[in-house]
Amino acid sequence: MTHLRIDNARVIDPANKLDERRTLFISDGVFVDQFDREQCDDDAQVIDAKGLIACPGFIDMYARLREPGFTRKGTIASESTAALKAGFTTVFCAPDTHPVIDSSATVELIKQKAVAANGARVSPIAAFTAGLEGKLLSELATLYNAGCLIAGHADHPVTDTGVLLSTMEYASSFNIPLMIRPFDPAIASGGCAHDGAIATRLGLPGIPVAAETVALARLIELCTSTGCHLHISRLSSARAIELLRSAKKKGLPITADVGIHHLYFTDEQIKHYDANYHSAVPFRSVDDRAALRDALRDGTLDAICSDHAPHDNDAKLAPFPSSATGLSAFDAFAPLLFGLPDLLDMPLIDVIGKVTCEPAAIVAPKEVVPNNDKLAAIQTDLLDARSYSLAVGSQADLVLIDPQAHANLSAENMISLGKNSPLAGVTSLTEITGEDVALRGQVIHSIIAGRLRA
Amino acid sequence: MRRSDPQFNQFHKLHHFLSIDGLDKATLTHILDTAEGFTSVNDKSIKNVPLLRGKTVANLFFENSTRTRTAFELAAKRLSADILNIDLVSSSTKKGESLLDTLRVLESLQSDMFVVRHSDSGAADFIARHVAPTINVVNGGDGQHAHPTQAMLDMFTIRRHKGAFENLTVVIIGDIKHSRVARSGIAALVTLGAKEIRVVGPQTLMPADVESLGVRVYRDIDKALIDADVVMGLRLQNERMTSATIPSTGEFFKTYGLTPERMRLAKPDAIVMHPGPTNRGVEIEASVADGEQSVILQQVTYGIAVRMAVMSIIMGHGEEVREAEMSQA
Repeated sequence: MTHLRIDNARVIDPANKLDERRTLFISDGVFVDQFDREQCDDDAQVIDAKGLIACPGFIDMYARLREPGFTRKGTIASESTAALKAGFTTVFCAPDTHPVIDSSATVELIKQKAVAANGARVSPIAAFTAGLEGKLLSELATLYNAGCLIAGHADHPVTDTGVLLSTMEYASSFNIPLMIRPFDPAIASGGCAHDGAIATRLGLPGIPVAAETVALARLIELCTSTGCHLHISRLSSARAIELLRSAKKKGLPITADVGIHHLYFTDEQIKHYDANYHSAVPFRSVDDRAALRDALRDGTLDAICSDHAPHDNDAKLAPFPSSATGLSAFDAFAPLLFGLPDLLDMPLIDVIGKVTCEPAAIVAPKEVVPNNDKLAAIQTDLLDARSYSLAVGSQADLVLIDPQAHANLSAENMISLGKNSPLAGVTSLTEITGEDVALRGQVIHSIIAGRLRA
Repeated sequence: MRRSDPQFNQFHKLHHFLSIDGLDKATLTHILDTAEGFTSVNDKSIKNVPLLRGKTVANLFFENSTRTRTAFELAAKRLSADILNIDLVSSSTKKGESLLDTLRVLESLQSDMFVVRHSDSGAADFIARHVAPTINVVNGGDGQHAHPTQAMLDMFTIRRHKGAFENLTVVIIGDIKHSRVARSGIAALVTLGAKEIRVVGPQTLMPADVESLGVRVYRDIDKALIDADVVMGLRLQNERMTSATIPSTGEFFKTYGLTPERMRLAKPDAIVMHPGPTNRGVEIEASVADGEQSVILQQVTYGIAVRMAVMSIIMGHGEEVREAEMSQA
């Protein structure tokens, strides 16, 4: 039996809409009212969390850990440790590894490595077609029971609409949610930046907004006809937000997220060809960014993900169009998240909700899944998404954060193997975006299933 | 980290010549004036000046080019530099060697200046940021981004024929979207204060938000040409002819080809320009390309003087950096 008591924290629990100062008691991995008399406080580990915020551990809907296959860029050990520093206690990892996460064996390998790493929980996203080739369905029910709470397709487009329809029908039979980034490769046609004035001046092939909206409209139609729970991953444009908003109004089972950097950056940042801003989901116009921010405030967007994409240095040492895509996001995530309340005029509790109870609700197991018993057994070492809060009886995944502490983002202080963050060495965003955001917010402790991790 | 324009050195002087963007009118005019001085060199029987004697210029062409490479080679020779032509299209980069590794090898050949052409937009910028500080870089064309020496020789040609830029209406016809010549030309015309810059072509050949470059968009070539002082054609690349951007070269010629009839809509003394090589019967009718109003061959000739001007100016600024490095050493 392990006991942990956290004193004096400002306790923010978005699921229960609570923001109060109280003591948290954790016994055997779950929150309890208070300790039993025989588990007197002497046995318990006590943390004085004066000046700190206690909230549920963050859940990252989308990050690349790069293992198996690309360990020069990141390993499960390095990236799950970096995730903890970002405040994540659970990370959904992208299936575009080598081999692709399309078999139970690969899921098992990742889970074992994650347990050994002792970082954040790692929850693999199943590839819903074999090899991410967009042709043959993966064994979704088997993968679900192996611990994949959601299936996705990474940044690989599914060009065959028939395969997409069939996948959604199949997934809906088992209530397995699908995570898809809307992207039409034929429209994007080799583009590498938002198709606007800046790409035009720089001569960079553009990615039109229609590459996102056409694919999204197709997904919404398929969602209407299949009833499959669809999670739209990493939106970038105002017009896509409009489509999403009207689909949600119709009551379709659709949720969506945005990458944290897209709430801050626009295509203005690429004007000196800085490859660190080269992202598969392009940074678009100021108006697009404004629409993403509005959508976060009004609930059209349910979650914020990191879209973490660590790279080795060589991958970015090339002219912009030939450089690898993606930003290393973990090390700057917490300060960027804590910058949002002021920047968006949004209550902190709502911002925290976007990385805790809201993503949990997206992946929370629904009824009618076969072999539910087996799933329940797995849940002990996986995220328990069904009641993701600080309430009594909930699994004790939480973080203690100093919201005032300045982030140290020097490259040598970064934990992720990927140093490809445009924020490396930056202390204020003003010098980049012109918006006055101080980079503050440091994760002091991470607790997973009642045990201190860092 | 915030990035700045890599064209300028620590003394705020033009150290690399990568793009017209970021250069002011005085800088462009200085290049044109300097080139003016070199045209007389080119007319003499002994055509060399010793400005770059003892210097080595390396032509690094990662993309095929005969005309531009030859023009740079000739310009370097007339400045008395040694010239290295390195064919990179078929060599190392095809073998998977990274661009940076190739650069390091070439640096160790002790060149003073790199003239680079590469198929990636931003490649010249990348190279300038990663070469040793003593090396000057001239952009010989990067992807769809910039071809600044072409723009300067175009401006030189226009100034020779038209004098000041302030009253000029310039029409650019065809594939603006994929053209580095158009982008650099437009930037130079805007900076030099041309009265109106018109672009004309179908939407498939226009980049997003093209007006933001400072141009007016026309769909109808007959309207665009009215009262034009300068008419610039662009080469339609072969790969555009076989994709969905235009249905056929025949239809393109019908809708946007430069014919003698259409030229009558422009001012009588309008000049016809083209960066070459021309596709006769696609962008331009032969009788226009070879006609009285055509200055296409003069553009090629002036290209030598303009490139001599650019190379000598930045090499001079490079000297300051090299001396500063020497005194530190």
